[in-house]
Amino acid sequence: MNDFAHTVLVVGSGAGGAMAAYELTRQGHKVLLLEAGRHYDPTTETPMFRPNGDAPLMGASTPDKDFGFYDSTVGGGWEVPDEPYTTAEGTEFLWWRARMLGGRTNHWGRYALRFSEHDFKAKSRDGLGADWPFEYDEIAPWYDKTEALVGVCGTNTGLDDMPPSSDGVLQPAPTPRIPELLIAAAAKKHGIEAAPMHRAILTRALDQRAPCFWATPCGYGCSIGAAFQTTTSLLPMAQATGHLRVITDAMVKTVTTDAGGQVTGVTYIDKKSGSERQVDAKVVVLAASACETARILLNSKTERHPAGLANSSGQVGRNLMDSTGAGLSALVPALMDRPRYNEDGHTANHLFIPWWGHQAHADKELDFPRGYHFELGGRFAEPGAYVSGDLQGYGTALKQQVRAHYGAYVHFALRGEMLPNDDCYMDIDPSVTDKWGIPVPRFHWKWSEHELKQVEHGLKTAKAILETMGATVGELPAAEEAIKKGGEIIHEVGTTRMGDSPEDSVTNQWGQTWDCPNLFVMDGGVFASNPHKNCTLTIMTLAMRNSAWLADQLKAGAL
Amino acid sequence: MRNPDDQGIAARTDSDAPAYANKLSRRDSLKLLAALAASAMLPALSACGSPSTGDAPDGLADAGHWPELDLQPVTASGYGKDPDLITPPEAPWPLTLTPDQLSLLALLSDIIVPAEGKSPSASAVQVPTVIDEWVSAPYPDQQQDRLTVLSALAWLDDEAALRFSQPFATLATAQQLAIIDDIAYRNDQTPRQFQRMAEAFARLRNLVLAAYFCTPDGMEDIGYMGNVAIAGDYPGPTPEAYRHLETVLADLGLSEFAYPVG
Ligand SMILES: Cc1cc2nc3c(=O)[nH]c(=O)nc-3n(C[C@H](O)[C@H](O)[C@H](O)COP(=O)(O)OP(=O)(O)OC[C@H]3O[C@@H](n4cnc5c(N)ncnc54)[C@H](O)[C@@H]3O)c2cc1C
Ligand code: SF4
Repeated sequence: MNDFAHTVLVVGSGAGGAMAAYELTRQGHKVLLLEAGRHYDPTTETPMFRPNGDAPLMGASTPDKDFGFYDSTVGGGWEVPDEPYTTAEGTEFLWWRARMLGGRTNHWGRYALRFSEHDFKAKSRDGLGADWPFEYDEIAPWYDKTEALVGVCGTNTGLDDMPPSSDGVLQPAPTPRIPELLIAAAAKKHGIEAAPMHRAILTRALDQRAPCFWATPCGYGCSIGAAFQTTTSLLPMAQATGHLRVITDAMVKTVTTDAGGQVTGVTYIDKKSGSERQVDAKVVVLAASACETARILLNSKTERHPAGLANSSGQVGRNLMDSTGAGLSALVPALMDRPRYNEDGHTANHLFIPWWGHQAHADKELDFPRGYHFELGGRFAEPGAYVSGDLQGYGTALKQQVRAHYGAYVHFALRGEMLPNDDCYMDIDPSVTDKWGIPVPRFHWKWSEHELKQVEHGLKTAKAILETMGATVGELPAAEEAIKKGGEIIHEVGTTRMGDSPEDSVTNQWGQTWDCPNLFVMDGGVFASNPHKNCTLTIMTLAMRNSAWLADQLKAGAL
Repeated sequence: MRNPDDQGIAARTDSDAPAYANKLSRRDSLKLLAALAASAMLPALSACGSPSTGDAPDGLADAGHWPELDLQPVTASGYGKDPDLITPPEAPWPLTLTPDQLSLLALLSDIIVPAEGKSPSASAVQVPTVIDEWVSAPYPDQQQDRLTVLSALAWLDDEAALRFSQPFATLATAQQLAIIDDIAYRNDQTPRQFQRMAEAFARLRNLVLAAYFCTPDGMEDIGYMGNVAIAGDYPGPTPEAYRHLETVLADLGLSEFAYPVG
C-alpha cells in the first residue's frame, strides 16, 4: 500500500461506508475502503428486463436466492456460506447480509423517509427508550444535502409525520396507480391520509445517472443508476476524485489498538488467499452494518478493552432494534376485471400511508407508544411462480377467474417503531466461528407488549380500510402470530448507539466512539431509537454529516 | 401392487394421448440438452411405491385411495448463491419425470389451460417442461411439490383403473372429465374420498397456471403490459381506468374522499 497513503480506513461499502468515502474523498482525504464481498458491476451484471419465465423456477424464491432468482443479492441472503450466526435458545432472529460491493444498497426497497423532531425526542415525551443527542433542526440541512445527492422522489405533504424538504430538493413523485387511489379514498373516510412514498429513485436525470424508465423490478438492481445504489453513484464519484482505493474480498476481523488503547488500524482476511493481513490507519470508520460492526468491536478484545473495543459502557451489542412488520391482504371485488394498463411504475408503492396518530398518542387514546406506517401493494405485476386466489375448476372458466383476480388483490405491509428492550441484543457465540476462525454473533430476541399492541392496532386499521373498499377480510390473526421475526424487516440498528454520555452510549453525536477518538461508527448501529420510517436515508445523512465533521477535525489537526 | 389392473397400466405403451417430450425451444439453451440427456439415463422414477391405503372398492366411500410414493430425495445441487443472472442456468439439476409422467402431465395441463382463441394451450408453451424442472429441483418447497404432483399423477391412473380399468391417458375425454370434475372443485361439498386429491390438484393447477402466465403468450392473455421502457414521466392510469375507478368510488360511497390526481 506504499503507493497509496490513506488517512482514513472505511470498513464496508454499503449505505454508510460509501457515503463516508464520498464525503471524505470529496474533501481531499485519502480513503482505503475494505469490503468483505466481491466486486460487483451493475452495468454488466444487472438482469434488468429478464422475465420470470426465463429464470429457473420462474424466478421463485429459493434458499439460494431468498428474494427470487434475479434479486441482485450476491453471495448472501438469510444465510451466507461459510459465515454462520447463532441464536440463543428460544430466540428467532434473521440476519440478512449481502456480500458484494455496495452491500444491501444494490437491492434495498429505497423507501427514504426523514425522521422528525417528534421521532428524535420520543423519550422526552413518554419516558421510553432514548433521545437522540441533537435536534431535528441540526440535521435538516444534512437531510437536504443527502436527498439532493442521492436523488429522492416524493412530495412535501405538510403532514405532521413527514417533515418537509427544502424547495427544489425532492424530485417529482410518480402518478399513483388505481388500487392505491382506491385505498387512499377508503383510508380518508377513516380520517387517514395517504401520501406519495419518498423513494431514492430518480425521476429526473442527475449527474451521470438516468431517470427511471418505469420498467424492471428495482430488486434486480438498476444498471442505469435511477435506483440509488452506491455502486452506480457514490462509489464511482469517490473513485473519480482519485482519493479512493477499494479492496474487495477483505473480511475485517478486528480493529487493532496500541498500548495506549488508541486505534492503529485493522486486521482482515484476504478471502481469496485465506491469509490474514494487517493495515494501519490514522482513523478507522466502521460501516459494516450494525450487527457486523458490533461483532468486530466485540471481537477486538485486548487487555485494555476486556469487554471489546469502545465498550466501556457495556452497550456494544445492546439496544438491538428492527422495525415491526406485519401484513394483511385481501381480494377487492370492485377491482376485479378492471381495465388494463401498464402499472409497473417504479416497482414499489407510489402512495403509502404515513403514521397519522400523533394526536391520539398525545391524548393518551392508544395502548402502544410508537407509530407505524403502511406500505401499499397491489397492481398488474409481471406474472411469477405463484397465482393467487381460491381458484376452482379448469379450462376457460378457470382462466377467466385468474384474469378477473389479476390486479384485484391489495396488500398492507405494516412497518412500525420498536423500542429497545433488555431481551433484544447480540453478543458473541462462545464456541462458533466462521470459516476464517472469527467468532460469530449470537442473537437474543423478544418482542414486547409495545410492539404487539401496535401490530394489533395496525391489523385492525388495515381491516377497517379493506372493508371500506368492499373486501371480506375474516378474522385477524393474533399479533403474536402476525408479527414478523426479529431481523426479518432488515432494519437492524442500535447496537452501538450514540448519546450524550459515555456511561450509556458507545459514540457521541458524531459517531465518534467515546473510548477511542480515532474510531468512528457510520452505520445504523448508532441509532438511539428506530422510528417506523425506514432507516437508510438517516444512515446516509448521518454518515455524510459525521464525515464532514471528521474531515474538519482532520484538517484542524485534532485527530 | 396398487390394484389388480396396475400391471396392465405398467405394460401399456400405446397410449392414445399424444406423447409429450420436453422441447428445447423454451430457452434455446444447450444446457437443457445436456440435462435431458442425463435424465433419460436416470432410472425411471416410477409412480408405484408402497401399497396405497384403502384401495379396496368399499374403502373408497370413505377416505379414498392415495398412492404412498416412496420417493428418493433429490440430491442435486442448486444454482448457488451467485449464479449468472444475465444468462441464467437452465435447470442445473437433472429433469426427472418419465416420458409417461410427462405425457400425463401434458394432458392435464391442457385440461387446465386449453387453447382458447388466439391463446395456445399449456403444453404448446412448454408448461410440462417447466413443471418437470420445478419438481426436479433440490429445494424444500419444490421437493414438497414433487411429492404432491407425482402422487396426483399416480392417483389419476389409480382412479382411472378403478373406474374404467384403463390408464387415465387412454380414457375417452368424457371419462377423463368425469374424474376431473370430482377433484377440480374444493368446497364444503367435496366428497371425503376426493378431498386429498382435490388439494393436490389445486397445487398442480396453480403450478400450471403460473407456468402458463409466465410465458409471453400467457402474459398477453392476462393483459400484463409492463416490462417496457417509457421515456419521461410515468403515464399512470388510462382514461378508461380512471373512469372505472370513479364508478367504483361512487358505488362504495367514497367519491367525496377521492385522492386528488393530476
Ligand atoms: C430487500 C431489502 C429491502 C430494504 N428496503 C429498505 C428500504 O426500503 N428503506 C430503507 O431505509 N432500508 C431498507 N433496507 C435496509 C438497508 O438495505 C440497510 O439499512 C442499509 O443498506 C444499511 O447500510 P449499511 O451501510 O449499514 O450496511 P450494508 O448496506 O449492508 O453494507 C455493509 C457492507 O459492509 C460489508 N461488510 C460486512 N462485514 C464486513 C467485514 N467484517 N469486513 C469488511 N466488510 C464488511 C458488507 O459486505 C456490505 O457490503 C432494505 C434491505 C433489504 C435487504
Ligand atoms: S423501476 Fe426504475 S428505478 Fe427501478 S430498476 Fe427499473 S429503471 Fe431502475
